[in-house]
Amino acid sequence: MAIDKYIMGLFKSEDQAVAAVQGLKESHWTLHRIHSPIPSHKLSEALNLKTSKVGWFTLCGGILGFFAGFALAILTAERWDLIVSGKPVRALVPFVIVGFEFTVLFAILGNLVGFLTQTRLPRLQNLNHYDERCSGEHFGVLASCQEDQQEGLHSLFVENGGIVRVFD
Amino acid sequence: MADEGMKSSYWIVWVAMVVIGFGTFMYLATSGHPGQAWKAYLINFLIWSAIAQGGMLFSTLMHTVKAKWSGSLSGLSEAFAGFFPVSLILFLFLFFGGAHVFPWSHGHDLHGKEVWLNIPFLFTRDLIALFILYGLGFGYLYYSLQLKNVDTTNGKGIIRTLFRILQGGRQLEPQVIRKRMDMLAILYMLAFVLVLSLIGYDLVMALDPHWISTLFGAYTFVKAIYVGLGGLIIFAAVMHLNPKNDFTLPSSQFHDIGKLFFAFCLVWADFFYVQLVVIWYGNIPEETAYVIERVMMVPWKYLAWVVFAVSFVIPFFILLNKKVKTMPAFMMVLAACMIAGIWLEHLLLVGPSLSHSAHTLPLGINDVLISLGFLGLMLLALDSFLRQFPELARTEKREVS
Repeated sequence: MAIDKYIMGLFKSEDQAVAAVQGLKESHWTLHRIHSPIPSHKLSEALNLKTSKVGWFTLCGGILGFFAGFALAILTAERWDLIVSGKPVRALVPFVIVGFEFTVLFAILGNLVGFLTQTRLPRLQNLNHYDERCSGEHFGVLASCQEDQQEGLHSLFVENGGIVRVFD
Repeated sequence: MADEGMKSSYWIVWVAMVVIGFGTFMYLATSGHPGQAWKAYLINFLIWSAIAQGGMLFSTLMHTVKAKWSGSLSGLSEAFAGFFPVSLILFLFLFFGGAHVFPWSHGHDLHGKEVWLNIPFLFTRDLIALFILYGLGFGYLYYSLQLKNVDTTNGKGIIRTLFRILQGGRQLEPQVIRKRMDMLAILYMLAFVLVLSLIGYDLVMALDPHWISTLFGAYTFVKAIYVGLGGLIIFAAVMHLNPKNDFTLPSSQFHDIGKLFFAFCLVWADFFYVQLVVIWYGNIPEETAYVIERVMMVPWKYLAWVVFAVSFVIPFFILLNKKVKTMPAFMMVLAACMIAGIWLEHLLLVGPSLSHSAHTLPLGINDVLISLGFLGLMLLALDSFLRQFPELARTEKREVS
């Protein structure tokens, strides 16, 4: 059985990278990973990526915060049971402020947690098959093929204007 | 020619709406219920004027912050200036109902507030204020049209002819036009804040002359921006969905104005709340009586919850969704519901002051018919303005979808 070879195409422009991705999707080679120096809508579209789930984390955080804010205000007020100028101990009208602030705070924290988990952070190991130029200005498209088909994949990247790096 | 025919058939519908509204109003006013008639008139004057003033504000705001996304929407929002002259005439007409819409004008001890609260002074100052606001709006529009390269040397219509006379064949440099627009846009927004505050104090808050909320003016103009955006969304959606128009908007623009609408939904609720919390803390009978009557007493308390739900809770939860904001037909329905909610909110504010002993909610088919008349006036104004300046309702070429 032939061994899989990992090959990366490095592109200077977004359109070249998108064209390479589309070429790969039409071929029988496997697309593994893409590095992009900028957040690119064109690449997301070419890859048919699902919508990010970060918004759901933010929403859940916000809802949790709303109730947590009211709960904090109510529980601390009930701890002392002090009646101030005839106002009820569980005074919901001013507790809206605490509820609102906690909604904002927890929504932001939820957003942060969503961001960290959805981008699979923290990553403790280095990436396999990585080229340092991807941390610079290059778009990197990593694909694999069987050893005897190397040339085809190689020429696909070159045709789209890329530099090719073959990993051992 | 077919297009012309379509326009005139719409025109007849709108005139019919105005006739129905005016007929209902006259019938009520002359058949022993003038109070009801003038109450509906006041509410409608306030809400439709606010839609026009807030709609126009969108363009000045976008110009001032140098927004690039709002091109065609700004043009459309400027068409709301067509309602300005109508609003001014409607305000003058309100003078005849002074005794019915200002309970303080007869038999009230105003404890020294007579200096401010007397009908001649009130009408003079509010008329001047509206005149300044609308003048600045038209001034801004005058230059905005020049920047859009509107050729006023041809075309019909009163306002277009007026612009032609004012322009007198002069051509200004675009930089000069932009500078003047900058100044007029800022002045319009400043006047918007001051004039809407004054209108809020004079025509809504002062109906109960002993109740004071310092923030009521700010609450009024924030509400006007909210309904103005709602009106603009409806207008844009109608223009976009009608295939006969040369006007389309990419869904990203509906998304953006939806976000702004969502933001002002929150700002409106915030301005409502900050007034409430101050009154709640202070707990002074003079201030709390106004709120208690409206949120805890029959029949108003039910209306209060309806207003809160329709104008805030429902739009808030629906607008959290991104996709909804990009659907023009849905946004149109939502904005219309919100405006209806704000109509009811006006009823909640002025109703108890005008009908103290109401046991049932003073709301009926007559109010709907009178509102229909005002809607007809708004549609007539927008239609006539767009026919004079068709340039306002064109999709800008440089926009990207």
